[in-house]
Amino acid sequence: MNALADFIINSLGLSGLSAELVMLLLVVAVAAAVFGIGMTISGLLTLAERRVAGRIQSRIGPNRVGPFGLLQWLVDGLKLIMKEDVVPHDADPHMFRMAPYLVVVGVFAAFASLPFGQLLIASDLNVGILYLLAITSLVTVGVLMSGWASNNKWSMIGGIRAAAQIVSYEIPTALSVASIILISGTLSMQGIINEQGGWPWQWYIFYNPFTFAVFFLYFTAALAEGNRIPFDLPEAESELVSGYNTEYSGMRFAGFFLAEFANIYLMSAIATTLFFGGWQIPGVTPEQQAGSLVLQITGMVVFMSKSAVGCFVVIWIRWTLPRLRIDQLMSLCYKYLIPLSFVCLGGNAIYLLIFPKPSSANTLVHMITTLFGGVLIVIFVTRVMYHHRISGVSLDLNFLARGEKGKYNPETQVRAYGSFRKKYEKKQGAK
Amino acid sequence: MTTVIRELGDEQRELVLNMGPHHPSTHGVLRFVLHTDGEVMRKAVPEIGYLHRGLEKIAESTTYPGYVPYTDRVNYLEAMFANEAFSKAIESLSDIEVPERAQYLRAIAGELNRIASHNITIGCITMDLGAITPFVHLLRERETINDLIEALCGQRVTHHYVRIGGVAYDADDNWLKQVEKFLNHFEAIIEELDNLIVYNEILVKRMADVAVITADDAVGFGLVGPNLRASGVDWDLRRDMPYGIYPKLDFDVPIGAGEKGTVGDCFDRFVVRVRELKQSCRIIRQCINNIPDGDIIGNVSRKIKPPKGEVYSCVEGARGELGVYVVSDGTEKPYRVKWRSGSFSAMSIIEHISEGLMIADLVAVIATLDVIAPETDR
Amino acid sequence: MGQLAEYFNAIGRTILTCSDGLAVTFSHLFRKPITIQYPDRTAKPLTEMLPERSRGILEMDQELCTGCSLCSKQCPINCITIDVQKNAETKERILNKFVIDIGKCMFCGLCVEACKFSAIRHSKEFEGTVSDVNRLKINFVEQPAPVAKPKKGEDPVLKPVGSIIRKYLADQWAPAANKSSDTNSGGKSE
Repeated sequence: MNALADFIINSLGLSGLSAELVMLLLVVAVAAAVFGIGMTISGLLTLAERRVAGRIQSRIGPNRVGPFGLLQWLVDGLKLIMKEDVVPHDADPHMFRMAPYLVVVGVFAAFASLPFGQLLIASDLNVGILYLLAITSLVTVGVLMSGWASNNKWSMIGGIRAAAQIVSYEIPTALSVASIILISGTLSMQGIINEQGGWPWQWYIFYNPFTFAVFFLYFTAALAEGNRIPFDLPEAESELVSGYNTEYSGMRFAGFFLAEFANIYLMSAIATTLFFGGWQIPGVTPEQQAGSLVLQITGMVVFMSKSAVGCFVVIWIRWTLPRLRIDQLMSLCYKYLIPLSFVCLGGNAIYLLIFPKPSSANTLVHMITTLFGGVLIVIFVTRVMYHHRISGVSLDLNFLARGEKGKYNPETQVRAYGSFRKKYEKKQGAK
Repeated sequence: MTTVIRELGDEQRELVLNMGPHHPSTHGVLRFVLHTDGEVMRKAVPEIGYLHRGLEKIAESTTYPGYVPYTDRVNYLEAMFANEAFSKAIESLSDIEVPERAQYLRAIAGELNRIASHNITIGCITMDLGAITPFVHLLRERETINDLIEALCGQRVTHHYVRIGGVAYDADDNWLKQVEKFLNHFEAIIEELDNLIVYNEILVKRMADVAVITADDAVGFGLVGPNLRASGVDWDLRRDMPYGIYPKLDFDVPIGAGEKGTVGDCFDRFVVRVRELKQSCRIIRQCINNIPDGDIIGNVSRKIKPPKGEVYSCVEGARGELGVYVVSDGTEKPYRVKWRSGSFSAMSIIEHISEGLMIADLVAVIATLDVIAPETDR
Repeated sequence: MGQLAEYFNAIGRTILTCSDGLAVTFSHLFRKPITIQYPDRTAKPLTEMLPERSRGILEMDQELCTGCSLCSKQCPINCITIDVQKNAETKERILNKFVIDIGKCMFCGLCVEACKFSAIRHSKEFEGTVSDVNRLKINFVEQPAPVAKPKKGEDPVLKPVGSIIRKYLADQWAPAANKSSDTNSGGKSE
């Protein structure tokens, strides 16, 4: 964005106050654009979630509003805007009203630092990844605030659970990110992508076995930070009714809701950046990409589709796994994720000492790890095919074509009791 | 803002939570008053009576055949068993003989009903523990069973199929073939269910060693059916107090074995029900293979007047012993009817085992004990 | 050492069981949905898809009813009201009223089973929504008329199932202007 601002200011020959003004306008415009993009993405994700859930559960999902139900999310949003904004009688009204803003700001501000394309980043901070980790922590405050201010016991338990959970899972997230920072040597999002390449073996997930493990650690921790099943304890529907947002309605509820879905995209986008080579196109160097508009757009599509796959996985996990208990959640974090991420961090450090970056041994490790990942995917696909073969045959008993229109046989509904029975027996005998 | 934490003596701090009657995990309208210390529970006191419909009193003003459709409403998930229990009581009171074909049809319909009911239970357990998809998959299978039963007797939930003296409608060969087709499909689904959720480590960890009910406690509190068998007590009315054609059939009774934890924990109660699905399939297959031709209802007059006397009859329903006690004074209408249901005794043990559980555990306990509100309150 | 083995075993079990569960749900993406898009996207009206024994809303054929009131005696909740009067001059029994309160009915089928003349029966209709609960009391007698006198050994002439009740159900949502005229002609509700 700075480059864009410089370009405009220089070409218009502005200076002093007017240059500041242009800068300010530009900041507002870019912020609005980022917010709009974030909203659209999370809206579409709500639709995607419902469609995917439908197919997983042998249903169809929303398909009435617009083609394939594509406009469903707009209509849902419209409905929520028109709903009454209820503030419970005994709630703390100011805190109650403020909480959703904190959550929304915490999530959507993070979009400012997402590298959608090589040049398509609102603000390429040189501490980009740290900024992302920091700004999303604002969500904790908002969630805790909403739980407390609602003056509802279920909400309060939800808020406290959320605070404990998000704060705990910040640690493994940060530690797994630290592994990647160690390899790339930069905190900038674009810098991390530039260090990787377009082909799978150039991605950081297949850099070495430790980064492979780090990805799963990061993914698990990020799921927990985003309050998704199997870690959706703050809003555990069957336990806490709806958790911290029980008392919310209308647009404020939509704020929580959209923030949750924006968070899914956020974690997938960060994973894409850190582990899957971001906008890098296979066989194209960043220098080549910089010079061509077509390649720029392709890069954006590549980034978007990679993060879309991530979002799909998050949704898919939600509709498969059960939920953990709060003590298991904590023991998972402190007994498993944190020690393992420390091990991976140490392992990466030692690896970097043994195999300096440009070396054939290093490439070999990349290749072997990629091969391992490929084998895992093949095994998984065989399992899917097995399940599809065993129980995928749909049952067709042809029930729904049984009745004939208008036909009525009095014997179908008649009881064979006492004298009636004798009568019908006679009739049967006569026939 | 009112305070939510109140001080008790000895500096005990207790949070009183009101769970229900409208809460996502209290199926139907149950209510629990939870006394908790943060997430850990001190006590959970069940409150019942939100769904009382006076079914026992209604019996005193209806005729015997007229009361059979009311028994559908004792428990909306196992109408077939309630029909059968009441019909069996009147049959033994007035010495009505049930034709063999009718008994086979009762067994087929009953076991189909058991599968449907267990589908709901297993689905609800997984859903209360957070996994939503198995519930929908199992509900899909239950829909097929409902379709089958609708084709047999015309209704999907309130069947009114088992009548005093036999069954209401005969099943043709085509219907039996369709049941067999469904079983072939459903046995694959049971296997899929094992892979999908039953042995899922998260689910196992949520339920293993949680809320252990010892065999003594289970017998003492009068638990019945799968809840009792999960505690290691080998007791099944179909085998130990045989009725109908069950003595002629060959089936196993799954017992809780502490597979992943202690005998009598939530996981045992869950897995016993999963195993029963397979046994029910086995029973239905045998019935279809051996069903004889013949009458479907004994010689029953339109007005049934059992002689003076009283009788207790019980069947093994999906929630265990579903019993009915009928007192007849020789008129057209029963003098007194009393129901004995598994959910009621399951409800009574919750307060006993709730100490030290977490809120999330209580949800698992309610789900695995399979408490159904209408059956508790009648 | 045993503890360490259990530690990694637990991780392994979790990964294996969870990923197998994920494989099952993933395979569902390639299966056909079973949804029936009731009410407007079915191959044919749902009432025509129901099985023959389906117990829907009751209907009564006035041309077959002998006014014997066996059905109302069988009904456990007394939702059938029959009014039969004897004409003093012609000594004929006149069926004045045959009201079934669908709002009370529990669809047990005892009345249908009791009827010797197939006059009362279950249709396959089940969509009986009305704006006023009293409208669910349906009077099946259009004009008071002498009761039917079936001859022995003759099979009754049956109207198509649902054809009687469908008319009354359609009346429930008829425009307000037509309603008064319907009531005057002894149409439906009491």
